[in-house]
Amino acid sequence: MELKVDQDLCLGCGNCVVACPVNASISPEVYGGHGPKTEDVIMMVENGVIKLFNESKCTKCGTCPLFCPTDAIYLE
Amino acid sequence: MVANTKEVKDKDICVLRISPEEKRELSFKDEQCIGCGICEKICPVEAIELGDIGAIERTGVDESKISVDEEKCVLCGMCSSACPVDALELKLDEKSIKDMEEYPKLIKTAEISDEECIFCKACETACPREAITIARVLPDRSKLVTGEIEIDKDTCINCGVCEEMCPADAIEMEHHEPTSSDPTVSSDISVNKDKCVYCLICKKACPVDAIKAVCRSCSYGEYDLKPEDSEIKGSSFIDEDACVNCGWCEEICPVDAAKVKKAFEGELDIDLEKCEACGACVDICPCNVLSFPESTKPGEIVEKLKKDETFCIYCGACENVCPVEAIGVKRTDVDFTPTKSKSWKKQLESLKT
Repeated sequence: MELKVDQDLCLGCGNCVVACPVNASISPEVYGGHGPKTEDVIMMVENGVIKLFNESKCTKCGTCPLFCPTDAIYLE
Repeated sequence: MVANTKEVKDKDICVLRISPEEKRELSFKDEQCIGCGICEKICPVEAIELGDIGAIERTGVDESKISVDEEKCVLCGMCSSACPVDALELKLDEKSIKDMEEYPKLIKTAEISDEECIFCKACETACPREAITIARVLPDRSKLVTGEIEIDKDTCINCGVCEEMCPADAIEMEHHEPTSSDPTVSSDISVNKDKCVYCLICKKACPVDAIKAVCRSCSYGEYDLKPEDSEIKGSSFIDEDACVNCGWCEEICPVDAAKVKKAFEGELDIDLEKCEACGACVDICPCNVLSFPESTKPGEIVEKLKKDETFCIYCGACENVCPVEAIGVKRTDVDFTPTKSKSWKKQLESLKT
């Protein structure tokens, strides 16, 4: 199973970025709803769309798809 | 050596070996699986792999919770003996090893005594696996309250006050539009004595005193009510396939009719510093042990996660799914039936952490 994104569907809302528990443990400010301060996180919004930076850190907990309003981030 | 074959139907898996001597069949039922990964841990040949249960449970990915490599599997049945929810079962010539004394099995039970049970259904509501069904037959209401009631139809003006006020819907009227041949608004009024509870509201409310009624319990006490008439009868049923022996039924039962024996003892530790409140553990826990606390007043900061360890079966599914290693499940005791095989004993003991 892999973490995948569909940038055409992404609205750039960043819900996945702040919902991701691994992101929050790497860059604690996302827990409060801010953007991450490091590119060490799994995913980040760049130029208005979601981009995966370190998909290998994903543990497939299934949290991000629960919060994505457009199914732009998914596990397959 | 005859090779194993594998059949996958929906998400259920079956590994089969038919040799001239015997037929060995390992079956996996995905619906029963709770994602604890004990099968993966106990498999001596690393044939079982636990899937990404967080994603499977939460996003509906169409995958089995475990995968079995039929080329590695030796059909030994250790996974079948150790699975705490009987999702895995090894059969030798169609007979389950769970029914064979030679094979050890986890000691876990859940029982409801119909003798003690008062059929209140609290367990049915509380069971996180919807494994309990309580069927009950309630007493005949008309036998629990007696009295007499009569409506004087000559005095009655068909105003409908009694019908509107009756809390038991026991008064029935035949309403119709008045005509020149029948200049009334109702052709009949009657009391359904199976429904009437002799509360006397109709009698008190009637504007023309057309109703005579008396409640025998109020007048003479409860002497003529037979205790057997108020008895609630019923029966309880636990679906063993769905039950995970969490103990909710035992805890919630007001009369100690439910008894649960768990296979594992242990400790559940949550590191609230590490927890990021993603809720994966809350969703995967088969026993409703974990929850998010709710704040009781505006501005109150609550803990990220709450546990009620009474119901924990120490399966370890939460630990598996936690993406930030905030949960630790320790198993301090594993209770299984005796076996002569030292290797099986050792392997089952290895589930202690």
